[in-house]
Amino acid sequence: MPNPSGGLSIAKLIAQRIGSGVLVLVAVSMIVFGATYGLGDPVRAMLGNEATPERVRAVAHELGTDRSLVEQYIAWVEGLLTNEAKSFATGRPVSELLGPRLLNSMILAGSAGLVAVLLGVAGGIASAFWRDRSLERLASLISLVLVALPEFVTGIFLVALLSTGVLHLLPAVYIGSGTVLDPLALILPMTTLVLAAAPYILQLARATMIEVLESDYVRMARLKGISELRVVMIHALPNAIGPIVQTIAIVLAWLAGGVVVVEFLFRFPGIGTAMADAVTNRDLPTVQAISLLIAGLYIVLNILADVIGLLANPRVRHGSR
Amino acid sequence: MKEIIRGLTVSRRSFLKKTAALTAAGSALLTGGLVGAQTAPNGKPRRGGRLVVGVTGGGAKDKLDAHTPISLPDTARVHNLYDRLAIRNENFDLELALAEEVTPSSDASKWTIRLKQGVTFHNGKDITADDVIFTFQRILDKAAPKNEARSISFVDPNGFRKLDARTVEVNLLWPSGILLDALSGYAFGIVPVGYDPANPVGSGPFKLKSFTAGDKSIFTRFDGYWRPDQPYLDEVVIIDFPDESARINALLGGQVDAIDQVPLGQIPIVEGNSALRVLDSPTGSWLPFTMRVDAPPFNDVRVRQAFRLIVDRKEMIRQALAGRGRIGNDIYSPFDPCYPSDFPQRDQDIDQAKSLLRQAGHQDLEVELVSSPVGAGLVEAAQVFTKQAESAGVKVRLNRKDAGQFYGKEWLSYPFSQAVWYTRSYLLQAGRCALPQSPFNETHWTDPAYARLIQEAIATIDDKKRCEIIHQAQKLEWDNGGYLIWGFPNQVGAYSARVSGFKPDKTGAPMNSYGFGKVWFNA
Repeated sequence: MPNPSGGLSIAKLIAQRIGSGVLVLVAVSMIVFGATYGLGDPVRAMLGNEATPERVRAVAHELGTDRSLVEQYIAWVEGLLTNEAKSFATGRPVSELLGPRLLNSMILAGSAGLVAVLLGVAGGIASAFWRDRSLERLASLISLVLVALPEFVTGIFLVALLSTGVLHLLPAVYIGSGTVLDPLALILPMTTLVLAAAPYILQLARATMIEVLESDYVRMARLKGISELRVVMIHALPNAIGPIVQTIAIVLAWLAGGVVVVEFLFRFPGIGTAMADAVTNRDLPTVQAISLLIAGLYIVLNILADVIGLLANPRVRHGSR
Repeated sequence: MKEIIRGLTVSRRSFLKKTAALTAAGSALLTGGLVGAQTAPNGKPRRGGRLVVGVTGGGAKDKLDAHTPISLPDTARVHNLYDRLAIRNENFDLELALAEEVTPSSDASKWTIRLKQGVTFHNGKDITADDVIFTFQRILDKAAPKNEARSISFVDPNGFRKLDARTVEVNLLWPSGILLDALSGYAFGIVPVGYDPANPVGSGPFKLKSFTAGDKSIFTRFDGYWRPDQPYLDEVVIIDFPDESARINALLGGQVDAIDQVPLGQIPIVEGNSALRVLDSPTGSWLPFTMRVDAPPFNDVRVRQAFRLIVDRKEMIRQALAGRGRIGNDIYSPFDPCYPSDFPQRDQDIDQAKSLLRQAGHQDLEVELVSSPVGAGLVEAAQVFTKQAESAGVKVRLNRKDAGQFYGKEWLSYPFSQAVWYTRSYLLQAGRCALPQSPFNETHWTDPAYARLIQEAIATIDDKKRCEIIHQAQKLEWDNGGYLIWGFPNQVGAYSARVSGFKPDKTGAPMNSYGFGKVWFNA
């Protein structure tokens, strides 16, 4: 039962979180802008080793990289606010370059995230429920190994197994058109991401559930003769949700960065490949936009996790702190 | 959170090697039995089919402009969309293409270009003298000079005279006998008057069907192509592959029919696969060490000579290029008819190198070598050299930069560094890197006697006489120059055994100069 003062404090806490999120985003934007200028001369990187000095001068003037850092920063902020930041590589707005790719990445990371969360949480609960049985120990060991493997290793192994080496079932890389996704080609990159993310969620969900299952009030519920399923679902799970959601948020935020490596490996037309390309070409506006997008996603996911954690915590919910 | 764990696992490279071996074993098992012995590939050309090619690099800055290609996918597109007045063929010989005649006047002050009869653009329009003049002027445009502007700087932008519908007189600012050579550059595609790269009308074997920057481009056969019977394919698809493991996986998995560059470590895997063929082309590309002749310690010619004697060239080819290359003798343009075969081959001579360094007062020399992975084998060569220099008592500090930093403001002023150069004739190459006004003179070589000889050679039409002058210039470079040219790397691509017509190509442009007009699918 919510009480008025509790509701107010939650609203205040949420406002605080959002406020600090905005501050962090502003700080990140400054760091991103500063750091990207350490990447080297974009004009020479774009033109390659056979660009004549005349062309270098012409292109530098065209892109505005011959102006001072402050002038460029002001122009950059203006560009951000008006959505007119132009890619050095295409001369078109960055949003035009990133729009379809962002959608593709969201489909990839989103579907991988959904599957990973479902598998991870369900696996974690089941694992806690049947803990220390031999089959559970084996499953736990496998998931620990998967946690330790970097995603590109898993990816390369999957490709060798299913595409180029042992079997020829799935396409090794994505070569379809960039706007319409081919479900068959989505399987390998998605599986790679799931195999990287799900075991992590599983391990934390398992640990959290075990802790809750061994707490006094759950024992009390058991002593009252409530069925084990009911104990897990009604009494234990709500108390485990806070920490689990925190973990999920971290893992989802990691996915936003993890897609970069996986997309590159599978030639997937998302923001990850765009990022790799933009860094190679010193396409600074695109690098900055993607960095800010990923930073923004981290912040939003963290705020969401905080809020869900607050709402799931009865002490906060009932205002008795 | 994963970063910590990641550090403990196998490095990416070593893992790649292992999985590659696994892959090779797997595919050998699968395909070995089915395809059987290597079948004779070169039957009669057949029509039809769609060739899918994976090309290295590419990205958002991909373009279709005939005259400003940068990346390899750009280069591949330019080779297929546009045709030139002349080309360098597989043997690096000059060959007329759209032109039936390109001849200098006796004093090399002007040239006459006559187009072949009946050559047309993709839109059906005849190629005329006006188009040739337009193309020249577009490349020379002062406001936006194109890639090849520098190689034809002797052409007077206002000196064109249309003699008839398909004949142009080109007047020069100063005499030059190398116009035909310059015209063979791949960024010299003839385009129609009013050309707009957004609507890339050319006269190459393929027309554009669709193009997505950073992804792929699709081409269809141009039925009006002037070379008899060509092209054989109905369609060509060029796909960007920035990542080399994605590229090789696409080939091994059968998603592409050809890739333009095989990573050196993966060549044995492709060779072991009977469904695939390796296209191994010796080229005139070169990956020199560059020593600035005006910066210490390299301003002392004895130090430069010592460094040229420190390097073990055979070992360099073996280690840095996995054996895919030929040793060099400190002179570029090995396929130029004027390449000096009479200069003795320089070999490793540590005693002599030590003695030269001693004479120069540098017995305990320590130098910084600026390297960068801007070409295959470059960083590896730097590492091998560092090791080899130890035996002569020279300590080389390796300063490895990433591509963007390497080509930054300090580029072309590193005292000791490396470079990547493609195949060119001697005079065109010298114009790019060995004259006071050269745009990429990384060794700061400005010898006035040398420059005079090059100028004289450029103005000479007689081949034999020109070679004699070039020979003197080469001697100056061989004795005093700042380049350490240890070798010429091969260009290694791969393609499906179902495809025929690819030939090894000395020009250094991958996949037989991306010559998809010349290839076909076997029956």
